[in-house]
Amino acid sequence: MSALVKVLQAIYSDEPFSASRNFLVSAIFWLVLGTVAGLTAAALMVWPDLTYGVGELTFGRLRPVHINGVLIGWLSMGYVSCMFYLATVLSGRKSLWSERLGNITMIAWNLVMVFGLLSISKGITEAREYAELVAPFDWAVLLALILTGVNVYLTVLTGEEKKWYVSLWYFMGALFWFPIVYIIGNRTFVSFEGLNDAIAGWFYGHNILGMWFTVGGVGILYYLLPKYTGNPLYSHTLSMIGFWTIGMFYAPTGTHHVLQAPVPEWLKSIAVISSVFLLVPVLTVLVNFFQTMKGKWHLAADHLPLRFAVAAGISYLLTCIQGPFQATRSINWYLHFSHWVVGHAHLALFATFSFIVFSATYFMIPRITGKKIYSRPLAIWHFWLSLIGWIVMLLGLTIAGLIQAAGWHHAIPVDQWAIEMEPYMLVRFISGILIVAGQVLFMINIYKTVFDASAEQVPHSPTGIAYV
Amino acid sequence: MEQRVNYLIAGVFVALIFLTIIFVTAILPATTFQPKPTPGAVKYTAQEIRGRNIYRREGCFYCHSQFVRKQDRDMGEMVQAGDYVNETPHVLGTERTGPDLSNIGGKYPDGWHWAHHIQPRKMKPGSIMPPFSHLTEAEMTDLIAYLQTLGRNRKVPSWIVPPQEIRDDYHLIAEAVDVNSAAAANAGRGIFQQNCAMCHGVNGQGNGPVSTTMMKKPANFHRPFYKAYSDAMWYWRIAEGVPGTRMPRWNKALSDEDMLYLVAYLKTLPLPVGTSTQEYEVTEFSQVNDPADLSRNFYEIESLNKGGPYYYGGGRSK
Repeated sequence: MSALVKVLQAIYSDEPFSASRNFLVSAIFWLVLGTVAGLTAAALMVWPDLTYGVGELTFGRLRPVHINGVLIGWLSMGYVSCMFYLATVLSGRKSLWSERLGNITMIAWNLVMVFGLLSISKGITEAREYAELVAPFDWAVLLALILTGVNVYLTVLTGEEKKWYVSLWYFMGALFWFPIVYIIGNRTFVSFEGLNDAIAGWFYGHNILGMWFTVGGVGILYYLLPKYTGNPLYSHTLSMIGFWTIGMFYAPTGTHHVLQAPVPEWLKSIAVISSVFLLVPVLTVLVNFFQTMKGKWHLAADHLPLRFAVAAGISYLLTCIQGPFQATRSINWYLHFSHWVVGHAHLALFATFSFIVFSATYFMIPRITGKKIYSRPLAIWHFWLSLIGWIVMLLGLTIAGLIQAAGWHHAIPVDQWAIEMEPYMLVRFISGILIVAGQVLFMINIYKTVFDASAEQVPHSPTGIAYV
Repeated sequence: MEQRVNYLIAGVFVALIFLTIIFVTAILPATTFQPKPTPGAVKYTAQEIRGRNIYRREGCFYCHSQFVRKQDRDMGEMVQAGDYVNETPHVLGTERTGPDLSNIGGKYPDGWHWAHHIQPRKMKPGSIMPPFSHLTEAEMTDLIAYLQTLGRNRKVPSWIVPPQEIRDDYHLIAEAVDVNSAAAANAGRGIFQQNCAMCHGVNGQGNGPVSTTMMKKPANFHRPFYKAYSDAMWYWRIAEGVPGTRMPRWNKALSDEDMLYLVAYLKTLPLPVGTSTQEYEVTEFSQVNDPADLSRNFYEIESLNKGGPYYYGGGRSK
């Protein structure tokens, strides 16, 4: 009984940073669940009759569970956790504007995830890619987003610090943009007919990346890198240019997902041009990343959170070389409809943005709980399993995508080349095992740290010292 | 305080820019882009709408697209904007792990779809489509009714043909050899035994010794599907090879005449002994619950019965 009371106290608490901690702990649970769903879906690509007769475990239902689990569950909740922590620290406050509101948001968000994923796997779905949750959940997510926004905005506005660090700009931008994107893109609140539904759908599908994951992730990276390296952020001006141009160039890019569908040509042109112009914000981030790292690369050998951040920065470089070029008509013409794009998506969302949240987790957890991370070897295993996992996955999916694209291009019937994909699907499955194993170790490591009362105590340090 | 005002101005500015861009790219198209319905736009019946909802519920669109692009050569008529006026919410799809389904309607009989949804690999060896055996009988009926509408109203398209430049080449060289003559076929048999039998087998059944090492097995030319090949198609596959398989480009090794002899020989290979041309009709649901007795060839035979090459390539039986 007392355990239950303790749990209730922990999730409905108003102690400093409790909302951030609770968000992170639940995010990691959804990370493991989402990646396991993805791994099962990957297994079905190799052994399609594995779940014969079980509707809940067919590919068409596991895929949305995977996507919603890792995007809305893991990555978004992880971002909110980082935003809560960093907004508090950067605005010079002791705690959030309202930790209790933050915790209520956390409970609501988790309930949405539990019932949302259950309903998706039972076939109750809107069947809109990346927006599968049905209307009541859309309302709940929107409410949770707005509550998060209110909390972060009020935290920053009532803070001691009057000069906002660039990360705060990014967070506040993300929390302003994303609810708007969500309202339009989910098509629960506004509706479109025929192909306009597809245009709005991809407006959402791309901007959940652009206006939420990119903006949030870059904001977190801009805080962590100077902390870890001890170098100041190379250029504040560049980071602001990046901020404004993300807003300008990301929003119209969605139509490049339906570049050969019969949607208006002017819209496609805007999408392609702004996709290429995305190189501007990307370059600002990369210049800042490489220049801030200058002279401090050797630190990554020992400093595990920095190692994650460096891996994320380099993956960001790769993703953003791929992205704009894939979106041009001549390359999209060949690569569209292939596993190449799936590889690209994992590169962006796992290798870049998830790694940023991993880094932030190892940074924040000791500062929130006052305990040293449970195990350094586990963290090292987590790093290498995840890193090797995504490299293998990217290679497998990229090669598979090229074979597939050649199949479409040469008008070879699917059943003739599908069998050629088998080894690459197996590679993808194996890489999935590596990644899932890494995330399970991560979960054990962080949960041990958070829930084990006997862990080694550390002081709340304003520097980037790694307690792992 | 001045700092706050500056931030406020900046914030309003961000909001305005962002809202303008959103208006232009997400809202404006909905008002200006109103294509007129084309004949390709299907008006669904209640049953077909139920089927479409099952298509969406089971996530079929994650692996099957529903738009034919300019560069897709074997998928039938290209789609137009007006085809989609009744398609809300859209199921365009963004990945093709499986084939495009814009023109799938009428390509296979209902019975084939029944069996294929329950045991995909019985009907399409090598396919990785999930089995949908968990659907009820009523759901399956609805789903198939929907699938049979896809592309229903588009023009009957031609199936895969060699590119124009290959056809031009072929007509230039075809005069040298009469590919319908027994003499040419006889000459081709020797060339076949020397060059092709290693993989395709001495009888062209795709069972040569090297075939055991191959993941994608060599073609069995006795399959009814190949009876639909045009001469230029044979020539294209021989000369340029088959991408995605181990079939090499024989124009690097053989002369034009030799390749034409091969065409003549391959055209003479018969259908397998005992091929039934009887039309297969599924009448009972229980029949397809255990589709083990459905031979993989029946759909090819059926399509031949209806007078055309429907094995792939957007043809239809209606």
